[in-house]
Amino acid sequence: MTRRGVSTALRRGALPVFAVVLAWACLVPLGVSAQEDVRCLSCHGKPGFRKTLPSGKVLELFVDPGSLRLSVHKEKHCVDCHADVSEVPHPNLPQKVNCRRCHFSGNTAGAPQIEKYLEFEQSVHGKALAAGNTKAPACQDCHGDHFILPGSDPRSQVQRTNIPQVCGTCHLKIFAEYEASVHGKALSKGVTDAPVCTSCHGEHNIRGPADMASSVNAGHVANTCARCHSKVVIMEKYGVKAEQVATYEESFHGIANEFGVLTAANCASCHTAHDILPANDPRSSVNPANIPKTCGKCHPGANANFAKGRIHINAKDKSAGIVYWVALGFKILTLSTLAGLFIHIGLDLYRKARNRKKRQDGGETERPENRP
Amino acid sequence: MSDAQEKTAWTEQDSRAVVDALYESVSTALESEAPRGVTPDQVDRLRSTLVSSLTPEVTLDVRRAARRFFEEEAKREKRAVVKQTRADKEADSVERLSLHVRVQHMILFSSCILLILTGLPIKFHEAAVSAFLIDVMGGPNVTRILHRIGAIALTFIGFYHLFYCMAFEEGRKTFGLLIPKLQDAKDALHQILYFLGVKKDRPLFGRFSYIEKFDYWAVYWGMVVMITSGYILWFKDLTINAFGKFVFDIGREAHSDEALLATLAIVVWHFYNVHFNPHKFPGSLTWLNGKITMHEFKEEHPLEYEEWKASREKEGGVP
Repeated sequence: MTRRGVSTALRRGALPVFAVVLAWACLVPLGVSAQEDVRCLSCHGKPGFRKTLPSGKVLELFVDPGSLRLSVHKEKHCVDCHADVSEVPHPNLPQKVNCRRCHFSGNTAGAPQIEKYLEFEQSVHGKALAAGNTKAPACQDCHGDHFILPGSDPRSQVQRTNIPQVCGTCHLKIFAEYEASVHGKALSKGVTDAPVCTSCHGEHNIRGPADMASSVNAGHVANTCARCHSKVVIMEKYGVKAEQVATYEESFHGIANEFGVLTAANCASCHTAHDILPANDPRSSVNPANIPKTCGKCHPGANANFAKGRIHINAKDKSAGIVYWVALGFKILTLSTLAGLFIHIGLDLYRKARNRKKRQDGGETERPENRP
Repeated sequence: MSDAQEKTAWTEQDSRAVVDALYESVSTALESEAPRGVTPDQVDRLRSTLVSSLTPEVTLDVRRAARRFFEEEAKREKRAVVKQTRADKEADSVERLSLHVRVQHMILFSSCILLILTGLPIKFHEAAVSAFLIDVMGGPNVTRILHRIGAIALTFIGFYHLFYCMAFEEGRKTFGLLIPKLQDAKDALHQILYFLGVKKDRPLFGRFSYIEKFDYWAVYWGMVVMITSGYILWFKDLTINAFGKFVFDIGREAHSDEALLATLAIVVWHFYNVHFNPHKFPGSLTWLNGKITMHEFKEEHPLEYEEWKASREKEGGVP
C-alpha cells in the first residue's frame, strides 16, 4: 500500500476500528479469564466443596486459589487448562486436563520447549494410559495439579528427595523396601548422592524390566549401577569399592552378560533391586549366611561353600588371596618362558644370517646349518 | 672326444653292410618280379634307372628314420629320469612319525584350535575381534558348547596318549626317549654357544632334541593345568559345593593364564620350529605323511641316523 493509500484508509475511519479490535484482542481474554477465575472460585474456592458422583465416588473440588498463583502456572487461568468448561453449572463432567495443549516442542504458550510427552508415550505408564488403564499415572499424578513447582524447588513433588514418596503412592511395597535399603536410608539422612527411583528407572521414559530399551533391563542393569558405582569420587565417600564394577565385568557373569546372555547374573540378581543392603547386614541377600539362598536361585543346591572366597575378585590385588599368587606365578612363568623362546629364536636367526653371509662371501664352508 | 668320434662315425664297414643289404633286397625283388626271357640290355637299363632314382629316396628315408629314432630315445630317457628321481626320493626318506602318532597329533591340534577360538574371546572379551568371532560362531551359547566339545576331544586324546605310552611297544620306546636328561641341558648350552659363534659345530641330536622335548613337556604341563582347571569350571556347582568358591577362582585364573601361555608357546615356539623357520617355511608335511628326507634325518637327528644305519647294516640291508 502506498503512503497515499494509507492516509486514505485512515481518513475513511480504519484506524479507530483497528484500535478497537486490537484493544479487544489484548485485553478481553485476560479480563474475561480473570473474571472467569472469580466465577470458578465462587464455588471451587469454598473449602469443603465436593460432589458425589452417581457411582458413589466423592470428588473433592476445593481449589486453594493461592496454590496456582505460587506455581509455575501463576499467569494461567482456570479455563486455560480446563478448556472444555464453558458453562456454569457444567452440563458434562469436565475432562481431565491435557497438559499437551501447551507442553510440546514449538509451543507459543511459554511452556518449556521439550518433548517429554513423547518419551512418556513410549513409557510403561504412557502405554498403560493409552491402553485405557485408569490407574495409570498421567502428568498430574507425579507433578501435582495446581501447585506445580520446578524440580529444583524443595517443595516440588518431583524434587529428588520427594520422588520416592511420589512413586510410593502407587508402588507401596517397593517404596517400603527402598526406604529400608542402603540407598533409601542414605537419602533420608540427606545424602544427595543416594539414588532415588528415577536415578535407575528414568523419569518420563520409565520402561518395564522386560523391555530391551529399559535402563533396568538385564542387559543394562550393570551400566545403570555403574553410572555411580564406577566413580571413585562418589564411592570413596561411602567406603564402597569402585572396582566392583570392573571385577563384575571381568567375571564369567559379566562377560556372558556383555555377549548378550541375559540369564547370567547382573548386579540386581545378587544384590536385589530395591532392598539393597550392605553385606554385613544379616538381612542382606549378600550376607554370607544368605549366600547359599541367593546363589541357589541360579545354581541349584548351592551350599555354604559358595561363601568361601570372594565374589568380586581382582586377581591383581593382594586382597584376592591365593588367586593373586596364582596369577602372579603364571605371569612370571609366561614372561620368562616367552623371553627364553624369543632369545633362542633370535640367536638361531642371527647364526643363520651369519652363515649365509659367510657362504656368499665364499669364505670357509662350514657344515651346512639346519634347524633349529 | 676321439673315442666318441670312433664310435659314432660312419665307417667303411657300415657302408658295405648297407650296400650288401640293399643289393640283397633289390635282387630278391627283381628275381620275383622279372618275367622270363629278359634281355641283358633290359637289365642294364633297369640298373641305371634304379641307381639314379633310389639314391635320393633312401637318403630321405634314412633321415626320417634317424629323426624319429632320436625323438623316441629322448622321451624314453626323460621317463627314466622321472622314475629314477621318484624312486630315489622314496628311498631317500624315512618314516619319522607313525600313523598312530600322526592321528593323535591331528586330534590334539584340532581340539586345541577349537578351544583357542572359542576360549580366547572370553579372556579378551573387550576386543572387537572377540565379539566378531563369537558372533560368527553363532553366539556365546553356541561357543560354550563348542568349547566343551573341544574339551572332550582334548581330554580323550590326553588320556589316550597315556594309554599309548604304556600299552604300546612304540609308545613305551618313544616315551623313554622323551624323558629329559642331563645331556639335553648340555645340548642346549652347546647350541647357544654355536649360535653365538663360540662353537664351530652344532650339537648332535638323537631321536628327540631338547627343543622337541620342551615342546612335548610343555603340552604335558598345559594339558594337566587346562584339563584340571577346565573341569573345575565346567562342573562349577559341584566344585564350589565340595571345596569352596576360592577353588573355582583358582581354577578360573589358572585356566585363563595357562590358555594364554599355551597359545603363545604354540604360536611362537612350535610354529617357528615347524613353519616359520627359514628351513621349514611354509611348513613341513611330516605331520601328514610322517616322513622326513634323509638329508633332514642326517642333519637334525645325526645320532639316531647312525643307529638306524647300523641296525640296517646288521639286518643285511644295503648300507
